[in-house]
Amino acid sequence: GGLGSLSPLYRKVFLSLKEPAPGDGEDDLARLSRAIRKEAGVGELRPGLDVLRGLPKTLRDAGWKVTVSLAEGIGCGCAEIAEIEPGRVGRKYFGLAVDIGTTTVVAHLVDLESGRTESMKGAYNRQSVYGEDVISRIIYAGEHKDGLEGLQKAVLDTVNGLIREMTEELNIKRVDIKAAVCAGNTAMTHLFLGIDPTYIRLEPYTPAANKIPAVRAGSIGLDIHPQAWVNCVPGVAGFVGGDIVAGVLASEMAFSEKMTLFIDVGTNGEMVLGGGEWLVACACSAGPAFEGGGIRHGLRAVSGAIEHVEVAPGSLAVKYSTVDGVPPLGICGSGLIEVVAQLYKAGVIDRGGNFVFPGRTPRIRDAGEGREFVLVWPEEPALPGGIAVSEAEIKNLLRSKAAVYAGIRSMLKKVGLPAGAIERVIIAGGFGGYINIREAVNIGLLPDIPLDRYTYIGNASVKGAAMALLSRQARQALEEIAGRVTYLDLSADNTFMDEFVAALFIPHTDLSLFPTVT
Amino acid sequence: MGLTGLEIFKQLPKTNCRDCGQTTCLAFAMAVATGKAVPDRCPHLSEAARDFLGSASAPPVMPVKIGAGSKQVEIGNESVLFRHDKRFENPTAIAVTVCDTLSNGEIAARVERINGLVFERVGQVYKVDLVAVVNSSGNPGRFAEAAKIAAERAEFALILVSEDPAAIEAALDCTADGRPLVCGANAANYQAMTGLAGRFGVPLAVRGANLEELASLAEKVAALGLRQIVLDSGARETAKVLADQTQIRRQALKKFRPLGYPTITFVDHEDSLQAVLQAGVYVAKYAGVVVLDTVEPADLLALITLRLNLYTDPQKPPAVESKVYEILNPGKDSPVYITTNFSLTYYSVAADVEASRVPGYILPVDTDGTSVLTAWSAGKFTPEKIAEALNSSGIAEKVSHRRVIIPGALGVLSGRLQEVSGWEVLVGPRESSGIPSFIKQQWKT
Repeated sequence: GGLGSLSPLYRKVFLSLKEPAPGDGEDDLARLSRAIRKEAGVGELRPGLDVLRGLPKTLRDAGWKVTVSLAEGIGCGCAEIAEIEPGRVGRKYFGLAVDIGTTTVVAHLVDLESGRTESMKGAYNRQSVYGEDVISRIIYAGEHKDGLEGLQKAVLDTVNGLIREMTEELNIKRVDIKAAVCAGNTAMTHLFLGIDPTYIRLEPYTPAANKIPAVRAGSIGLDIHPQAWVNCVPGVAGFVGGDIVAGVLASEMAFSEKMTLFIDVGTNGEMVLGGGEWLVACACSAGPAFEGGGIRHGLRAVSGAIEHVEVAPGSLAVKYSTVDGVPPLGICGSGLIEVVAQLYKAGVIDRGGNFVFPGRTPRIRDAGEGREFVLVWPEEPALPGGIAVSEAEIKNLLRSKAAVYAGIRSMLKKVGLPAGAIERVIIAGGFGGYINIREAVNIGLLPDIPLDRYTYIGNASVKGAAMALLSRQARQALEEIAGRVTYLDLSADNTFMDEFVAALFIPHTDLSLFPTVT
Repeated sequence: MGLTGLEIFKQLPKTNCRDCGQTTCLAFAMAVATGKAVPDRCPHLSEAARDFLGSASAPPVMPVKIGAGSKQVEIGNESVLFRHDKRFENPTAIAVTVCDTLSNGEIAARVERINGLVFERVGQVYKVDLVAVVNSSGNPGRFAEAAKIAAERAEFALILVSEDPAAIEAALDCTADGRPLVCGANAANYQAMTGLAGRFGVPLAVRGANLEELASLAEKVAALGLRQIVLDSGARETAKVLADQTQIRRQALKKFRPLGYPTITFVDHEDSLQAVLQAGVYVAKYAGVVVLDTVEPADLLALITLRLNLYTDPQKPPAVESKVYEILNPGKDSPVYITTNFSLTYYSVAADVEASRVPGYILPVDTDGTSVLTAWSAGKFTPEKIAEALNSSGIAEKVSHRRVIIPGALGVLSGRLQEVSGWEVLVGPRESSGIPSFIKQQWKT
């Protein structure tokens, strides 16, 4: 919203040119370019050689009335004359916006004429068989013969699968998709294009490129028009990529007076702080716990995931509810946050996450590697062993929440602002609109500021990519944001480590930071 | 300096052009705020911004250079009261005295002994920095002669200790090239001394009877155009020196300019143990120079080590030393656990090994204080590094077996580790809390 008129990455413009005449012998290309500039408001124009070769005949055969296809790019000041067709052509043409997540890939198919999103689809990233996180995949790409090719093919297969589903459903041709914008973290972008990602994970964490010029779809095997340009949203650093830049665009924080904190509560835990004047970003490496990873009964926020939990003090009776109200299959991130908050409130665990319940209860049992708390008994659903969270898992979750909170505190410290200066918090990522902010503050995951400052934006990354498909201003904003974000390397000094250790407790070692938590 | 990154940022052109070597204007502002960059690195600063940042970023404690060439030491340029707030920048310069009442031969011999006060341990060089020639004779000619001998032989720069301008002038005539510290000026002689220091281009120590007099003297000396000033509060008793040193640093950090210089302190105890303790206090509490009257290596080694520790940059991740740790008196058959030297990781493992009640060895590999998965991610916890730790730590002599337990999260390393180390690799539990049950089930001796 608010990013000006429709100026998509690819569009068709109908032109009626004045014929050359004695005294008006301007060359064909200049004549065409002048008309395009006037009609479409684009700057420099670049015709492909094929277009130029046929230009004189095409123009004359068409009686100087032609439809020109213009393709622009992110970070490129010029437009390409992609095609010239005789007469007025009104056929539909589409653009593809993709969020290449480490775990999930989400695509939007957008009608570039109307600006409407016609279809949205998501799928698991098929790279997961090579490793669950970006690091394992970078290592796989470097240490296996054809590793990089395998990873590139896996993500392409995932995206191409989504393209097929969407085009079949809408009954359109894949060659009618004329432009694509991909937003992914830096490692995902490298793997998507088949660029060596090795040095992203090695000190001092340097990617091959943060800004990558657009490439032809055919050159990477993306199943849309082979000459279509595929644009990757520019990133900031090895661990703050185009997905975050796109998210910042969608959140509109980069052009706001309000001091905003944008958090992607995912495995990498990227966050951005700032507003119209400045932006700082970091990645706190929260780990996969909030997405259900590393937790035996962890689950993404899908049907059957326990999302709300209450534990009665004393009796330790458990009440829960699941996504879609179906029998429980596991527990998602928001449910885990509530479990920790409720177990602490009920006296089952202490501030450090240790099991300290004084009484005897069948809810707490020995599970080999330490004790666990039973949420759902085996007889309730068809789950052998039921659903339980162990002491180690709770500590794992405390480490994740400590990483997020320490990331926030480190950023605030670096710019010298108190938490109260944050005027709004925008939560993004698959973690879900289900998150109970009150309980997240209670365990010390999020800062204790008025709850009405929190909002949830969903998949901001794909939203930002779709905006770039449609608006030149959005594309310029993406570049501007990527160039303006100051990346803070949390490993560069002790600030993060000190904050992390201080945040390993419920809610924190410094209770004055959480005045409303009792 | 007092300005925050955001305050500096407001003065910058905000072009994010990267000409300063930083990725953004804000990154540059933060670097300036923490003293890692100077405002001049930005080629596009407006004149007004340059003036504003220049005066605001001047260090609260003026940096002062003593000596020339390879013998030069820098003191001052400090910005905190406590090292954990940021770090102490320039280590206290340690000076050893030589009196001009000694014979020429004795002077030469003592200077040689001072030259020998260089120690090397774990790759670090520990040494003194200065030779303080003291005009005990009261005779300018004798002082100059002694200074000349010291300057020719010493591997360190000089401090010329005399309050007689004639003696200082005579000594400077033959030693000024080495840029000695003149020590120095007082209320009675400061005009002559400042003139000499200015003429020869050397730093000057200023002594006041108390802090008030010191501040006013320093101001007068500065008004005469000398900026390379070192402060001496006149106190010689430990408690009084401590109080003065603290007050001088505090006032300097509050931007009280007359006290914004490094200090010189003198140790006066006859007993060498007391003298070293006294010097230790001064090193810990802000002294720019500490002058001692001992050439005993045993006295100085402790002091120099203390200085090295205090001036270490504390902005490093919390890490334990990478060496073999013994839990519950292990023996030849005890298990060996591999982990990283991140303190949190090490202590978690240590606590759980202890909880298992099975004695064992823990070998934390040096991963720059990062945790198991962090180190693995960043390529700092490789089979080669673990094998190297197994070889160099001496663990092979402590146990009779060749089996090692690695963290469960890194099971993927086991094959390669076995290959490069020759040790049999057991993949332990993912969480250290699983160690007690793991060891009971899997460890057979």
